[in-house]
Amino acid sequence: MQSPPGIPVPVPVIRLPRGPDGFSRGFAPEGRRVPLKSGGSELQEGPMNEDSPETQEQRARATLRERYLRSLLAMVGRPVSFTLHQGVLVAAHFGATDLDVANFYVSKLQTPIGVQAEALLRCSDIISYTFRL
Amino acid sequence: MPVWAAAASPSPLWWRSRGQLTTMNEWMKKSPLEWEDYVYKEVTVVASEKKEYKGWFLTADPVSANVVLVNFLEDGSLSVTGIMGHSVQTIDVVNEGDHRMREKLTHLFMSGDYKGHSPEDLEKKKNSLRKWLEKNHIPITEQGDSPRTLCVAGVLTIDPPYGPENCSSANEIILSRVQDLIQGHLEAYPPEGQEL
Repeated sequence: MQSPPGIPVPVPVIRLPRGPDGFSRGFAPEGRRVPLKSGGSELQEGPMNEDSPETQEQRARATLRERYLRSLLAMVGRPVSFTLHQGVLVAAHFGATDLDVANFYVSKLQTPIGVQAEALLRCSDIISYTFRL
Repeated sequence: MPVWAAAASPSPLWWRSRGQLTTMNEWMKKSPLEWEDYVYKEVTVVASEKKEYKGWFLTADPVSANVVLVNFLEDGSLSVTGIMGHSVQTIDVVNEGDHRMREKLTHLFMSGDYKGHSPEDLEKKKNSLRKWLEKNHIPITEQGDSPRTLCVAGVLTIDPPYGPENCSSANEIILSRVQDLIQGHLEAYPPEGQEL
């Protein structure tokens, strides 16, 4: 064990140089996963503009998505008819879809070669689906 | 494209879908505001393989661009059709719709009870179901105020909107039988026109 250390020596902090636009830190602008709310400086703040196109678009997106999710909810457990490629029609009981609606989880799938207890239908294989309420 | 990047809006050319990449068609490239423009209007949709659909536009899913259309059938029930975003080719408005239709469509799916159906639709639905059950030798009576509750053999009741989940009974066997019958009444169209 060494003797207790004295006042620690400050270590120089290495900062990435500022990018060509003057305020970023070397991150590529298109590397952002979430696009900037206002096209331009991240430092821009101020009262949220209710009528900004981005807000309107986001509101529309939210409403449309909520409606769609509710339509999926209404389908759960009900018999649904799927139109697949090449005129193939199959019927099944709807279970669920995943987040991107890429796969449809169904049960009691009636196929031309028999009834499948559980199955996953890929969205790319489906043209449309229909059910009655 | 890495999976985590898909949390943002899709990149210009490719529609990521859990490892299934599809090129975006014109419909999928539209913005949510453009999609919203079709809501509450009657449209015809032409999809892949010359499939055509007509109905009242309820919504488009922003994630998959799937279109949901609704049709009001003669027996008071509803037919709901989802057309996958990747197969939508053209979509045309045939009827701008009116305030009444707007009201009707807004309440669809929004509440657990029967507000989504108009009193006339409920009446038609009730009568249609009643005929079906009687055809299957089930004794039916009606009770209560409009929209009336259906009553089976004095041991089971069916409340509006007369779906399998609206049945109430202490008798498991009768409950199961009647639920299956109602399910059969709303059964998806049996596979037809199959190519083997």
